[in-house]
Amino acid sequence: MVLESTMICIDNSEWMRNGDYSPSRFQAQADAVNLICGAKTQVTGEEHVGILTMAGKGVRVLVTPTTDLGKIWVACTVKFHPIFRGYYFLCSLFHFSGLEIGGEMNITAGIQVAQLALKHRQNKKQQQRIIVFAGSPVTYDKKALEAIGRKLKKNSVALDVVDFGDEEDGKAEKLDALIASVNNNESSHIVHVPAGTDALSDHTNFHWDGEGGSGFTAAAAAAGGMSGFDFGVDPNLDPELALALRISMEEERARQEAAAKKATEDASKQETDGKQASSSRDVGMAEAVSSSHNDLDKKDDQMDDETSLLQQAVAMSMDKLAPVPSSSMVIADADMSDAVDQDLALALQMSIEDSAKDSSTDTEVNKVLGDQSLMSSILASLPGVNPDDPSVKELLGSLQRQSELLQPQDKENEDESGKKEEKQ
Amino acid sequence: MSIASTIQRSQVDLQDFVDWSGVECLNQNSGHSLINALKQGYRDDDGLHLESDADEQLLIYIPFTQVVKLHSILFVGPEEEGPRTVKLFANKEHMGFSNVNDYLPSDSAILSEENLKGKPIVLKYVKFQNVRSLTIFVEDNQGSAETSKVQKIILYGTTVETTNVKDLKKIEEH
Repeated sequence: MVLESTMICIDNSEWMRNGDYSPSRFQAQADAVNLICGAKTQVTGEEHVGILTMAGKGVRVLVTPTTDLGKIWVACTVKFHPIFRGYYFLCSLFHFSGLEIGGEMNITAGIQVAQLALKHRQNKKQQQRIIVFAGSPVTYDKKALEAIGRKLKKNSVALDVVDFGDEEDGKAEKLDALIASVNNNESSHIVHVPAGTDALSDHTNFHWDGEGGSGFTAAAAAAGGMSGFDFGVDPNLDPELALALRISMEEERARQEAAAKKATEDASKQETDGKQASSSRDVGMAEAVSSSHNDLDKKDDQMDDETSLLQQAVAMSMDKLAPVPSSSMVIADADMSDAVDQDLALALQMSIEDSAKDSSTDTEVNKVLGDQSLMSSILASLPGVNPDDPSVKELLGSLQRQSELLQPQDKENEDESGKKEEKQ
Repeated sequence: MSIASTIQRSQVDLQDFVDWSGVECLNQNSGHSLINALKQGYRDDDGLHLESDADEQLLIYIPFTQVVKLHSILFVGPEEEGPRTVKLFANKEHMGFSNVNDYLPSDSAILSEENLKGKPIVLKYVKFQNVRSLTIFVEDNQGSAETSKVQKIILYGTTVETTNVKDLKKIEEH
């Protein structure tokens, strides 16, 4: 786990008043910044984060790299009321530090000041990183940006750019060129966020996938692919809860991915994890469950409510827009016998058709559905289905041919757990 | 008495006293790192060398596990891309390219072709009596090439606290 000192460069230019990211570009940016700072400081207590603004009356450092989250939040949220020009900077540090919107973003000066701030960091052993939010047009030409990039690389500073807002005049290319000149061993990234209601913060998390040794692998697993906020309006109202939920989900996902690679030796662990995760989600919001299904699809199919989940998962992978009330998971048992027949057939049908699809949900669904012993145990527990029915056998047989992934061990373990469920 | 034998008698290769965990090199190409030039075994391998990345300058920081005296230094590099102007700073921690010109070097040298073949550069011994860390700044290279390459860096000197008494006696004989 490599410790990093990070400077975040915020764009507070006039362009940030635009509402094409909800609620406004500026607010979306502030949320993303809060999320980054929270994630960084909470994973280890040692990562330093600082903030500066690039527009307004000029580049201004609001917070020098610190582990104190409070300072950062104050800087991001409180509006600025200049009292005395002379005490401009002092006031900003103590009470009225805040972000005024106006002016034009000066990206080169911002990066240079960030570099300077990092140079004077307390712990010289920390790796240096600059995160730039570029929401307004970039007036500098490619060469200037590349020169800056090379200087950063020479001083081993990594750079991340979040490109959002207006897409104009080769802005994306310029920023890509900048990242290309800084990039050393994939430590620098750029993410282009198109306009829409998607939260900027989701995409910001997404671009940490590739960040090696950043220390928060839990938060870094892709949060992309979810529309809107993960857990309702959490990030706005209660950032800590949102962060805690997000981290627990990412940990869950990371564990599941590890389990998917090994065989079902992890299966028993997964069940307890899935149950814990589901209880935390039940506390929360409806939308949480839709994303949780993406997780659960992968390996928790041995659980009681698996077939209803399968059905939902398959529906999910089709349109990704099925928020399911959390109570459905609790009464899954009751629903199962009713809904399962047609849905099972539908699911089997779809998995046959979609076996070539890339999404992992389908492959996982295939895996489970293709496991003949598991399927027959499920079917045996259903009132209306006779596992010896030739048509059912035929379906299962065709599935099995597709799923060559399973090892013989899988069948045994799943068989056992399948039997346990039957007894329950 | 040739210079080479003087070195052999009284000075040791300080490679053993390098604190490898703190060794750093700014602007190195990640595929061709400082270890290739500095560490025993790696540096003798002709296929491995230290190369710079974004431009031709290199800033090498070498801390030691104990205080040493530095007598001379040896560079081996290719004719074109080998280092030319080299500045040495004793006991300056964590320098960057921006402040390297703010400080006066403890010693500086312009390497000739002979040096690049393995002739060591004798340093101003008085300036390097109490060295905890050494910073080597490679300012440019022989042929003004895009990147600088160094095959070997060897530091010769003695330790301060754990001076080998046998060696001392030999010097006194002269």
